[in-house]
Amino acid sequence: MTWLEFPTYILLTSVFWLLALVLLLTPKRSVFHSLKGVFLFLGWASIIVFTIGLWISLERPPFRTLAETRLWYAVFISTIGIVLYYRWRLPLMLAYTLLMAILFLFLNYLNPDTFDKTLMPALQSPWFIPHVIVYIIGYAFLGFSSLIGVYGLYLYYKGKEVDRTLLMADNIVYIGFAFLTFGLLFGALWAKEAWGHYWTWDPKETWAFLTWLSYLLYIHFRIRKKQSPKTALWIIALAFVVLLICWFGINYLPSAQSSVHVYSS
Amino acid sequence: MNKNIRDTKHKNKLWQFPWGYRESFLIAFFLLLSGFLIDLIDGGGVRMPAWPVNIAIIIIFIIYFILIHYLVKHPIVKWLSSTPAAIAAISTFTLMVLLLGFIPQTPSPADPSLLDSLGLTNVTSSWPYLMSALYLLVVLGFTIVRRFKSFTIKNIAFLLNHIGLWIVVVTASLGSSDMWRLSMGLETRHPSYTAFDSKGQGYNMGFGMILLDFNIEEYPPEVGLMHNRDHTLKLEKGGKLATVKEGTTDILDHYTLTFEKYIPFARKYGDNYDTTSIAGGARAVYIIAKDERNGNTAEGWVCDGSYAIPADYLILNKELSVAMTQLRPKKYSSDIRIYHSMDEYEDFYIEVNKPVTIDGWKIYQTGYDEPMGRWSETSIIELVRDPWLPVVYIGIFMILFGTLYLIWMGKGRIKTKKA
Repeated sequence: MTWLEFPTYILLTSVFWLLALVLLLTPKRSVFHSLKGVFLFLGWASIIVFTIGLWISLERPPFRTLAETRLWYAVFISTIGIVLYYRWRLPLMLAYTLLMAILFLFLNYLNPDTFDKTLMPALQSPWFIPHVIVYIIGYAFLGFSSLIGVYGLYLYYKGKEVDRTLLMADNIVYIGFAFLTFGLLFGALWAKEAWGHYWTWDPKETWAFLTWLSYLLYIHFRIRKKQSPKTALWIIALAFVVLLICWFGINYLPSAQSSVHVYSS
Repeated sequence: MNKNIRDTKHKNKLWQFPWGYRESFLIAFFLLLSGFLIDLIDGGGVRMPAWPVNIAIIIIFIIYFILIHYLVKHPIVKWLSSTPAAIAAISTFTLMVLLLGFIPQTPSPADPSLLDSLGLTNVTSSWPYLMSALYLLVVLGFTIVRRFKSFTIKNIAFLLNHIGLWIVVVTASLGSSDMWRLSMGLETRHPSYTAFDSKGQGYNMGFGMILLDFNIEEYPPEVGLMHNRDHTLKLEKGGKLATVKEGTTDILDHYTLTFEKYIPFARKYGDNYDTTSIAGGARAVYIIAKDERNGNTAEGWVCDGSYAIPADYLILNKELSVAMTQLRPKKYSSDIRIYHSMDEYEDFYIEVNKPVTIDGWKIYQTGYDEPMGRWSETSIIELVRDPWLPVVYIGIFMILFGTLYLIWMGKGRIKTKKA
């Protein structure tokens, strides 16, 4: 399985998920409504099959290039959406996570940035997989929290109650932040083995740290109960912008051209 | 609800206790301002003190937190561990790191610009950065001491995270001046005794090292279609490179490539390539390329070349050739002998990601003579000594365990609200 087969799989995934979302709109008691689970699973299975196949054919874990991390993001965010849907019955969130996943898959289709099978020596380490996986999981949760933030802002400006929304965001930020912390510290421990120092203010490190600080700010802002909900919602929405700069923007920043994390050749 | 908060805020006059957000942010502003002023006037940046001054500072710091906390009953002490102070401190520190993230960190001391004078091209040794870090550490310190007084099991995660962070930030910055990072080039013929720091200052290590053997394990060679006009690879969307393996075929564009013969260490003899044991051998493959549109074939040798022999291409037509990509190392490693004295030596092996510790130095494989590639007779290593590392690691592991606990507990408040 290579990126050449990718279009087939994303087409399958998108069709299945879009069907599932349409079925979600049908009356709850109808046969169609109960069928949506099947399509959710089929869509999920086809992207999983592709990911595993890619892993096998690359002969290395597919965690290196932007396209590969976007693939994983699609896998994790859709998984989170589906699990949360069955746990808490959040149809809007399900729709968001599936559409986000489809968007990321199509980004990969339009911009497949590499076909490179090689992995530079510094990346060949047992730290590699845990380092990237915890980050991607963290990103998936935090992306989700920022959507809740945006949704909360919408409610807020319509003059509606946002306390419940913020409490939900809190929990998701806590989990996402924990994974972000793991990613950051695993990275530090690995860097000590690979580059001789645990922290060198490499641009990617700097921006990962900034992302961490932004969510740290949110968590501390939420300690006091009677804090302005508007400010909290804005922090959570803007923190995701920092996260995106760390993830994608870094390749375009003039201050980051010497980064050890910019792998494009 | 929002309005109410604003109303209560305005009841207090500025600088009237208890201090809130306005005071916390104003203090942060003055700290930054004074930091920038010091940098503008002094221009030298911050130099972190080395052992034993740094350990003295840390001890004084800790005693100071505890004493002040217990002896001084002033509202300022209470403010120092308050949420507004924490928010202001985190924001200020974030602002400095943001500047660090946006401004290229390349100071030009010879011809300083305004950014240079403000310390912004070397943020981590600038005064405003130090001020923001101090603000953060002081607030963090008082918060920890206050929590310690009301110690419960539930507080464990909080204490692990906050103390861990304090330890990491303090020891990583104050310990940096005790750290040595030296680079050394090893050769096969002569032992090396001198290592160099990042400024090019040489140090006699007191031991000699000689390179016994340098090894590169490489990825299998790949060929691609190359434009004749500018020697760039033709990579289309969904396109790929073909991996060379003797006896196999692969398809690139409209061409079927058959790899007839592959020689990992080759030299050119006349029009032909043959295996060589002489240094400088390159990778060569004999390819038959068939154009599937018209059935035309072309065949010949393709070679990636080395410092000793030129690269070779297989010309398909006016526009395109088949070319081999440059050798990509999968991993590289060195066998090294270290001489403690004339007749006392020890052999060891290092590779990327697998450093060893010898005589208190952690030794890393960092590079080699790249133009020479697989024939490099030089291995570049880095020697690192960081006496503070164990303490930093204690901090890191405290945060890791605190974070695990955090995932387990979640944000406690929701449960109490539901109940």
